[in-house]
Amino acid sequence: MNTEKVNRKEIAHYLGIHGASPDAQTEEVIEDCLRELSAKVNPKHVFRTYPLALVPPASEEEVPLLHFADIGVQSRDLSRNLAGCDEVLLFGATLGDGADFLIRRYEKTRMSRALVMQASAAAMIEAYCNEINDAWEAEYAAKGFSLKPRFSCGYGDFALEHQKDFLRVLELEKRLGIRLTDGCLMVPTKSVTAVIGIYQERDE
Amino acid sequence: MNEMTSVFLEQLKNGHVLFDGGLGSLLQARGLPAGVLPETWNITHPEVLIQIHREYLEAGADVVTTNTFGANPFKFPEEKTEEDSYTLREIVTAAVANAKAAVRETGRGFVALDLGPTGKLLEPMGDLSFEDCVSAYAEVVRFGAEAGADFVLIETMSDLYELKAAVLAAKENGALPVIATVAFDASGKLLTGGTPKSVVALLEGLRADALGLNCGLGPDAMAAVAKELLTYASVPVIVQPNAGLPRSEEGRTVYDLGAEDFAAQMKEIIAMGAKGLGGCCGTTPAHIRALREVLQSSAGMSERSDSLRRDATLVTSFADAAEIGDEPIIIGERINPTGKKLLKQALRDEDMEYILNIGLKQQEQGAHLLDVNVGEPGIDEVAMLTRVVKELQSVTELPLQLDSADPEALARAMRIYNGKPMINSVNGKQESMDAVFPLVQKYGGVVVCLCLDEDGIPETADGRIAIAEKIIREAAKYGIEKKDLLIDALCMTVSTDERNAMVTLETVRRSREELGVKTILGVSNISFGLPLREVINAAFYTLAMENGLNAAIINPGSADMMRAYYAFRALKGFDPHLKAYIDACGGGLIAAAATRGAAPAGVNTVPATEAAPSSSEHAGGPLFHAISKGLKAEAVSAAKEALKEREALAIIDEDMMPALDAVGQGFEKGTVFLPQLMMSAEAAKAAFAIIREHLRRQEGEAASKGNIVLATVQGDIHDIGKNIVKVLLENYNYRVIDLGRDVPPEKVVEAALREQAPLVGLSALMTTTVPSMEKTIRLLREQAPEVRVMVGGAVLTKAYADAIGADFYAKDAMGGVTVAERIFAGEAAV
Repeated sequence: MNTEKVNRKEIAHYLGIHGASPDAQTEEVIEDCLRELSAKVNPKHVFRTYPLALVPPASEEEVPLLHFADIGVQSRDLSRNLAGCDEVLLFGATLGDGADFLIRRYEKTRMSRALVMQASAAAMIEAYCNEINDAWEAEYAAKGFSLKPRFSCGYGDFALEHQKDFLRVLELEKRLGIRLTDGCLMVPTKSVTAVIGIYQERDE
Repeated sequence: MNEMTSVFLEQLKNGHVLFDGGLGSLLQARGLPAGVLPETWNITHPEVLIQIHREYLEAGADVVTTNTFGANPFKFPEEKTEEDSYTLREIVTAAVANAKAAVRETGRGFVALDLGPTGKLLEPMGDLSFEDCVSAYAEVVRFGAEAGADFVLIETMSDLYELKAAVLAAKENGALPVIATVAFDASGKLLTGGTPKSVVALLEGLRADALGLNCGLGPDAMAAVAKELLTYASVPVIVQPNAGLPRSEEGRTVYDLGAEDFAAQMKEIIAMGAKGLGGCCGTTPAHIRALREVLQSSAGMSERSDSLRRDATLVTSFADAAEIGDEPIIIGERINPTGKKLLKQALRDEDMEYILNIGLKQQEQGAHLLDVNVGEPGIDEVAMLTRVVKELQSVTELPLQLDSADPEALARAMRIYNGKPMINSVNGKQESMDAVFPLVQKYGGVVVCLCLDEDGIPETADGRIAIAEKIIREAAKYGIEKKDLLIDALCMTVSTDERNAMVTLETVRRSREELGVKTILGVSNISFGLPLREVINAAFYTLAMENGLNAAIINPGSADMMRAYYAFRALKGFDPHLKAYIDACGGGLIAAAATRGAAPAGVNTVPATEAAPSSSEHAGGPLFHAISKGLKAEAVSAAKEALKEREALAIIDEDMMPALDAVGQGFEKGTVFLPQLMMSAEAAKAAFAIIREHLRRQEGEAASKGNIVLATVQGDIHDIGKNIVKVLLENYNYRVIDLGRDVPPEKVVEAALREQAPLVGLSALMTTTVPSMEKTIRLLREQAPEVRVMVGGAVLTKAYADAIGADFYAKDAMGGVTVAERIFAGEAAV
């Protein structure tokens, strides 16, 4: 994977370096980790689109219910995010086992490098998601549609439990090698699932 | 073996066997609702399953696959949990009965007991142990065999470790033939990094009856991988592709290849020599019918091409295979306690970090495999070899050579090894062969065969060749082929008899030429008792390679040996454009090794630190600088220098602690960041190791300040924060009992009591796991009320920590040290 698009500021941020630039030594370690990662990761993604149905709540107190694929989600935050959308794009992406392998290797042998590796890998999966996101935006813009920001389970009141639905619907285990722990965390850990709302700009 | 079984194996060997196609989408089309486990339909809708199986048999399939892909003890328990739930036994028994009913009704066909991935994560990625994984598969196999399946089909595997567990379970729980297929992606790799070569090596080592590919790709995209498998495989190859690529249509998944196109694309794979053919996702009885027609019209098509590599000698790790052939291979010899004081100590202290670093260092230096020997008086070798192998295979992609004279240690390590290992060693003694060969027969492996027997080491090449022949004959009785044997001609030092080298070299040459078997040598014994041993070793190594040596067990950190290696490859045409040679010179591999042992330059030229000043007169000295700058090598040499003049404890108090404190204060003020803090911690740790070793020699071990138990709480797998705290606490001379991640409350309590630790540190990264932290604290309060608890992690705040009943909140890594210093100084009040 091309490391140019990985956001260095974000890596520094993950390392607790806020507002300042990393020192030269740390900067060098970051670049070195990115090089090592790029040789080892195998970024992949899958996506599918589904019609979206929103069941309007009977009252203010009731949490809105959303339907897409065969999934039913109760979430105020997600329904706010998907307001005005008729369709959603579900996707899953991962850097593969390679990133976790390197983090594990250095956790056991050189903690300082593990730390930077972990931060670099986190920024790398983010960069990869942005890259595919940008491509979809351009594709949909050409057809007169816009995309909402991606929304993952675990954000706000969109329950982490729905990770199971993403795995089933997108066949993430078979196609990307993603599995869940009992607590619904994804392994490889540098993996992302999200729903992206698709809507048509309406002339008002 | 029953009649059906032998008929099936015969047909697979001599003709073609047509497997069935997809099942999931057919079940959905017949009304299987989303979210319902498909395996329950074996019991609730047997007529649908029988009908689908029948359609496949009527379309011409020879094999029907039971609806048990997801049937495992994790999804279906042993006991009924609710009125409408089913046990694993019920599910598997019904599935086999449905398939057999279809076979009975159509009057033909074999029943394959289907095993898919468990959906659980194996160690070290997850928490399922290898043995628990074997047990899970074993249950399915036992129920399926009892119900009358004809063979076991393990499919859609992408993790070679899980695959090994499944094959062992099938082999250990009945006599049914075992076929295993894996799912490659378009890059020609498994999701965990495996390659066609490593799949063949692993599965043939485990004595699978056939192997192959399924799922993931359509026939065209699968052809290249299929060809690679067919090149290396000696057993029949099975290919079951998807019906092309999936796409989403109105929320449904559809595949783009119709029956005719699918069958047409399969022609190439048939022509390559695949013996078992079928389909996976998206394929239907129509696809299988079309495939049957293609198969009939292609009868007598050409067999496999002539570029076969079935004799390749392969060892593997979890990922790729290393091939032992004409190009010389280096096996790193350094993980072996003989004559190595520090390694012996590390083994006694169970200091895995030290051992892993020896392994990784050799990998950097150019080793292709790592020898692992932990035999040492006072060490439980059986347990230790398994432990070290597990640890090593979690951090290196190099295959391992399991080195032990204890067959029990070998057996355990071979079982949990993630791949096909190298085994060191067997010899011509009957007792040795009786112990080692059954292990190789069961688990697979390439074995080092020493040319000695009950009468010792023969003095002549004739004598050694005779022993090699005897070993080869005996191995054949176990079905172990020559490609899985490496003859070790043995080196006797030339200092006792100058003809010794010639005997060894002749044995190497004749093993290759006359016996057609590959060779290995531990080279350095040749110079025992001589001055400047490296000179003789390197020359002998070159001679041995010229005489056909395939693999050498050497120290890849030896400049002389690596020079011989790179020069030989360059001169023999193994190094295109001499790239590896030039890289090794330029990259400093050879040159760096040449200066090994010399003091690193620059110790005295480290610029003055910006860290806070200290009252100590040594603060500002080389060791202080090296630690505050995070320079590990410099810290080590500065510590050695300091020890020549000053007391160990004085160095710790006057140089090291002030440096750590200065960096820690910088971190708290925000002028030093976490990566620098950690680099300093590691530099200090390396210096501490030197000083501890010095103290140990003087029998004046520095007592630790006390015990602290650390754990990442149950449900949380992020333990980087906890690991950082551990490194720092160790530098402040606490003994840390690290329980790892995803730790149940009971285990934390048990460790705190056992270790009499006054302080427990708990870490959690996710909001979802904070309740588990709270539960752990509650249990500690009940059962170990005197223990103090500090908590930390990204989602925690002081208020949150108070709310869940923690004594202390550590806001960052240094926070943990501050808390510990207060507790152990007796200032327990917050």
